[in-house]
Formats: sequence, structure tokens, C-alpha cells
Amino acid sequence: MSAYTLRTAANPRPRNRPARYTIAAVIGAVVILIIAGNSLLDYVFIDTIPARATLYGLVAVALIALGTYIQERALNRDPITRRRHLIRAGVLLGLAAMLWLLLSDLFLFAQAAGPVVAAVCALACVPTTAFGLWVVRRIDRNEKEPWRLVLVAAAWGAVVATSLVIWAETFWDTIAANTLVPGPGLDASNAFSAGLFEELGKGAAVVLLFLVMRNEFDDVVDGIVYGAAVGLGFNFMESITYMTNLYSIFSPEGSGGIAAGFQWYARQVLGLFMGHATYTALVGAGIGIARQLPSRRQKVIAIIAGFLVAIAAHFSWDAWLTFFPIETSLFGLVEVHLRTVVMTGPFTAGVIVLLAMGLRNESRALYAQLRKEAAVGAGAVLPAEVDILASPWRRFGERLRALDKGGFGAYVRLARLQTAQLDLAMERWHRERREIDTPLEAEQELRGEILTLRRRAAF
Amino acid sequence: MAAGASDPVRTLYRTLLAYGAFAILILAAGVAEYVHFEPFTSSPGVHAKVVGVYAYDPASRQTSGPNRERFARNEQFAAIVDWSGLPQSITVEAVWYDSFENIVGSVGPGTPDELRDQTIVPAAVPEGLKYHLPGQYIFAVERLDHGRPVEVLGRRVVDVER
Repeated sequence: MSAYTLRTAANPRPRNRPARYTIAAVIGAVVILIIAGNSLLDYVFIDTIPARATLYGLVAVALIALGTYIQERALNRDPITRRRHLIRAGVLLGLAAMLWLLLSDLFLFAQAAGPVVAAVCALACVPTTAFGLWVVRRIDRNEKEPWRLVLVAAAWGAVVATSLVIWAETFWDTIAANTLVPGPGLDASNAFSAGLFEELGKGAAVVLLFLVMRNEFDDVVDGIVYGAAVGLGFNFMESITYMTNLYSIFSPEGSGGIAAGFQWYARQVLGLFMGHATYTALVGAGIGIARQLPSRRQKVIAIIAGFLVAIAAHFSWDAWLTFFPIETSLFGLVEVHLRTVVMTGPFTAGVIVLLAMGLRNESRALYAQLRKEAAVGAGAVLPAEVDILASPWRRFGERLRALDKGGFGAYVRLARLQTAQLDLAMERWHRERREIDTPLEAEQELRGEILTLRRRAAF
Repeated sequence: MAAGASDPVRTLYRTLLAYGAFAILILAAGVAEYVHFEPFTSSPGVHAKVVGVYAYDPASRQTSGPNRERFARNEQFAAIVDWSGLPQSITVEAVWYDSFENIVGSVGPGTPDELRDQTIVPAAVPEGLKYHLPGQYIFAVERLDHGRPVEVLGRRVVDVER
């Protein structure tokens, strides 16, 4: 271990790789097989040139596989080699994602409106989705998740989850359209399809983060953050698809822009948090709670419960939307808002309740651990720092003081120190709860790093 | 300390379980809705013959050309139903659904005998629009029970291209 390595994790990587990595590898392999299968089905059954272009999907799969292999190799290397491998893996995975995004989703789904309209729709959704991700990350006030993981989660939602569900939903809906009585029964069937497949596709990302990035997945708050990020990514791609589709439908009538604009508002403003973000946050909440439960049985039940609630929330919107018709008068504008609040609001409120409970638990636990650490007298946390570290606003106030006295560099150094101190408190919390599989010396290393950061942060 | 009786994580867990119970109720309601509108009953051997879907001239109210599965947005089209094979004891209707599941054309409800002169069922362009909406259109001959469609006796699916 080098003398100075900034540790940003509460729960450093264990030396012996736990069994959860095997589960993650199996899930990853299944995902890759489904994606490859989707590409082949596109190629064989969809008789259009863009669909045939989806054979590129196999190239993307190869890039994902190679990137994952290199990332896996990086886990056993020294920090410098690991960094190099991680960068390579990141570039390969990024290339694969971009390929998917540009050629599959935008080209295949948005082809009806043409590339210019698709690009305009995508650009219109970028600021709102970015705002959503910023808010979601900010709500984790004690220990913000790294941007790279939040963005990976959003990219999964936008690129991988959408690709995973295409054929499953298409098959289900085609069979239903050819066998069921059109009307509420068919609506219910399609709603089951959307709720089940889309929540499983999105939830797989949160499950993988839980299995592989355990050191960045502490509790229910983190689960909600990652889940909401996946949902925002999915909502981004779905918004583009619906906007371009409605544009192409209504542009011959002269109202394509209005139709696309209304979709943008409904999905990127009104439904930004009260839609996919809420559904997948519920999946994340279940996994986050499972993270801190003692028995395997309870963990499984919590994860299943999270998925069930998400599927039910999604189902209720898709199945019962038609029971809340919107008038074509001005009052229809009010009805659109009321419908979203009435139908999705209770589920969003449910997420907020779990988030508030999680934040309260986390704050209390960190305060207790900071006090215990200060009492040890190792110097990592000083008694006078406990109250400051326990309060996000007081931490921010201290950083502003540092900025005032030592400039931006001092602000950043103090921020790193505070982050490391909170990581230590988080580490202690997990160890006290027996939720950790790292050796005790990792905690001692973290104390050493904090002392180094303290010296650097002195002003 | 592992999660014990006073563990706040247990409170979270119980809250989630309560949500889960609510979710099961929602999904059960969904299943009940599905079963209500899609009852597990059928009339064995009763099938309506949908002769085909053809180009349609609203002025003459006549169809023309071959049986087709695809139409352009600006083309008018209609289905032809042969009511003769259906028993007179049932109530039926024929309905066109557009890609948004809006009803855009229908005849009935009535007994097959009452509908025998209404063999051509056109799909209409929605009010206020110049063209058909694109997507998959379903033409269904439905058996009604107490005024509610309970079974599809004949079906055709056509695509309206963009």
C-alpha cells in the first residue's frame, strides 16, 4: 500500500474475493446473452435496414465482455496497474455504451422522425436528466456516491435496460394483441409486461452495484440514489423514443412539435422524479435495506419486496392510466398534473419516507461512531470535530472558512479530509453491525490516511 | 451489534414489508381486472369469418382491390365480415381499434342476423385529423355478454405505415 492513497470507500475491497462476485458474474453473463440474443432477433426478424444494423450489437457485446475482463484483472493489481486497467476497461465499456446508444436506441427507435429531430429531442432531455441526477446525488448528504457510479447507473438505465426489455415486451404484447379482447384486459396484460420486464431490467443494475461495489453501497440511502439514477437514465431514453415517435405521428397533421413538447414536459419535468426514478428507487431501497439485514432469508425477502413494490407501482400507472382520461379543454392541463400526483405520488412519497428514515439512521449512527472514534484518541477524529462532521451544513461552513483562508485548494483538501473521516465512521458502523468482510487493518490504514490528509489540510 | 429488536434497520425492513403487502394488493387487483375483462370462457366452435381488409372508398362505400395487411396513412380501408356462420343466440359487434386502442369504427352490437347487411366495417380517420394514425390496428369481432365484450370471435391485425 502506498503511503498516500485517497480511500473514498467506507468498506474497502476484501483480500479474498467473496462469493457475491460469482453471482455478479453469472448475472453479467445472462445480461450479455440476452443482449446478443436481442441483436440477432433484430437482425433476423425486423425487415428494415436500421434493424439489420443492430448486428453492431454483437460488436458492443464483445467490447463489454473485453472491458469486463480487463476490469476483473484490475482487481488483483497494485494501485498504479489497477488504475491503468480500470481506465482501459472504462474506455472499452464507454465505447460499447456509445455504440449502443447511437446505433440502437437513437437510430432504431427514433428513425421515424429522422436524425435531426432525434438529436434535438435528446438535447432537450439532457439538462433535465442532468438536473435529476444532480438532485439524486445531493440527497445523500452524509456520503455522496461517486459520480462515476451514478453515471454508470444512469447509462445502464438508458442503454442496457432499454435493450434488455425490447424483445421480451414485444413478444408479450404481440401475443396479447393477437389473443386478448382489446380493452382493460389487454391494458392490464401489457402493464404486467412493462412492470415486470422493465423493473427487472433496470433493477439488475442496482443488484450488480450491490454485489460488486459493496464498498460504495452502504444502506437504504445509497440504494435509493443508485436506483433513482438508473430510472432517470431509462426515462431519458424512453422520453426520446416517445418524443420522436409522437413527432413522426403528428407532424403530417402540423402538430408534431407540440406533441413532442408535451411528451418532454410530461416525462422530463412532471414525471422526472415521479416515474421510472421512483420505481427503480423502490428496487434500490429494497436492496439497500437488504445490505444491512443480518440473515440471508431477510435479505432475499427485502430484495423481492423492493422489486414487487416497483413492479406494482409501474403496473398501476400503465394499467389504470385510461381510468383518468384527460379532457381536451384547458382544464386538461390541470388534470395531467393531478393524474400524475394521484397515481404516482403515493409511491414517490413512499420512497421519501424510506429515504428520510435512512438518512436519520445514518446520521445518528455516524454521530455515535464519530464520538467513539474521537474517544479512542488516535487523532483521526478530534472531539471538537464531532459535531461539525455530524452536520452537513456545519461541514460546509468549515469548508467555506477554509476557502476564505486558504483558497480553493484548502477547500478541496478539507473536503477530502471530511470525506475520509466520514468513511471511517461508516466503516466503524458496518464493522459494529458485522456487515463488513474486510480485515481490521483496512480501518487502521484509513486512520493513517486521515492523519496524512489532516496534515495536508492544515491552514 | 447485529440487527436486533430495537435496530432501526428493522423498522425500515418492516416498512418495506408493509409496502410489499400493498404491492401484492395492487397486483392482485390487476389480476382480478384481467380475469374480469378476459374471462376464461369461450364459445367452442363459434368463429366469425373476417373475409379480409381492403381499400375503401367512402363516397361509394365500397371496397376494392386485394386483401391487404398494410396501408398508407392517407389510404382509407375497411374490413369485410361474413356474419352468416354465427348462431343467432349471441350478441356481437365488430370494432376497429387504432394503435392507441381508440375505437375508430364499429358496427353493432346486435345479433348476427341484425347485422347481416352491415358486412363492410370501415376504419375512420379520427375527428380533427387529416390522416390515420400510424401503427398496428386491430379489427375484432367480439361476442358481448351483458353489454361487455368477453370474447374475440374473429380478428385481423393490419399496419398503417408512417
